[in-house]
Amino acid sequence: MTSLIEAGEGAAAPRTDEPVVRAEHVWKLHQLGDEVVKALVDATLTVLPGEFACLMGPSGSGKSTLLNMIGGLDRPTKGTVFIDGTDTATLSESQFAALRHDTVGFIFQSYNLIPFLSAVENVELPLMFEPVNRGALRQRALDLLDLVGLSHRANHQPAKLSGGEQQRTAIARSLIGQPRLVLADEPTANLDQRTGAIVVRLLRDLCSSMSVTVVASTHDPLVAEEASRVLRMQDGRIVSNTNQSHQPEA
Amino acid sequence: MIAAGLSYGMLSTRRRARELILPIITTATGAFLLVQVLSLAGSVRRQAASLGNGTEIYRAIVLISVVVLLVGVVEVAVCTTRTVTQRTREIGVLGATGVRRAPVVAALLVEPLVAALVGALVGSAVAVAGGFVLSATGVSSTSPDVAGTVVGVALAVGVSVVASLLTSAMPTWRAASRPPIRSLSSGG
Repeated sequence: MTSLIEAGEGAAAPRTDEPVVRAEHVWKLHQLGDEVVKALVDATLTVLPGEFACLMGPSGSGKSTLLNMIGGLDRPTKGTVFIDGTDTATLSESQFAALRHDTVGFIFQSYNLIPFLSAVENVELPLMFEPVNRGALRQRALDLLDLVGLSHRANHQPAKLSGGEQQRTAIARSLIGQPRLVLADEPTANLDQRTGAIVVRLLRDLCSSMSVTVVASTHDPLVAEEASRVLRMQDGRIVSNTNQSHQPEA
Repeated sequence: MIAAGLSYGMLSTRRRARELILPIITTATGAFLLVQVLSLAGSVRRQAASLGNGTEIYRAIVLISVVVLLVGVVEVAVCTTRTVTQRTREIGVLGATGVRRAPVVAALLVEPLVAALVGALVGSAVAVAGGFVLSATGVSSTSPDVAGTVVGVALAVGVSVVASLLTSAMPTWRAASRPPIRSLSSGG
């Protein structure tokens, strides 16, 4: 049995300055009857270690599609995505699953917590199927819940948590495997403005302190304000790519 | 990893106990009918033989047993398909977080297996107890046959377990093999 601490130690530390994400000329086309819908058109982007990149755009602009391509939840019709230097086009589904498991954490708009598991069990979920030390796993999950301010809600099921608490639990879950990259799909979309602000700052601060790269899709200007890079999308295309220097608040 | 999947499956089965009630009842109904038919088959056949038409009655009993078995298998299949549909989003989350397919499938097979086993045992127990009570109190003039009862219970348990595994393995495997985004965007 592998100690969780031994297995995960340093996993999140950037190894090189090589981009964590590099997408080159990525297209996603959907066939709808006789019509071909261009969900993603020639998208090219690079995200460096430690960046908080934000894909900004209205509904249907292709930001979630691009995020899904980066995370391997869906495959591009054309083009290549490199994650941590690995050409994902060469990977089988199971190899991509292994890459996701070791490298990527996900945060979803609708949280996607498992309803019959408690908050701490939901945080443990990505590593529950691994031969890791159960005590160490529980302790790490509790530590992460503590980091997101939810240690007092560890044994509550999702139905008894507010939207903000569920999303904070999902953030803790995304970090349990000490990923290099966290992908957040509309992380504040189901939250009120105040809770959304808390969640996005928490995400930014945690990822900064844990050296995790974040790519978030959003239409929320608040998320864009906190990001170090903003990529604006429209009709499946990346129309602008802006670096924003940002110092986390003390 | 498979062991961890089974452990997760046991945990989810305990926590989702309420979801097991319908599959247990439907499986128990099938098992009850099968055990009833087979436990009474011997007596009915003997009585029919004394009237001179044993072969026809025996054929009718076999036909009824096969129909009851098929109905039981369909009931189990409906319940397992319902379970997989309910848990599609969960399969998507597990896939997105990179959990491999085999332990996910193992985890999701535990619930239909437990439902089938418990349902078959409950249905068989009720059939056996009911048959003997009706016979002992004189309500039924046909007494249950021990050999037929044993065959009925064995068939009910065996068919329920095999049917639940066969009917749930394929949809579960298929669901776990889909791109996670498709499972995540599904209901359930």
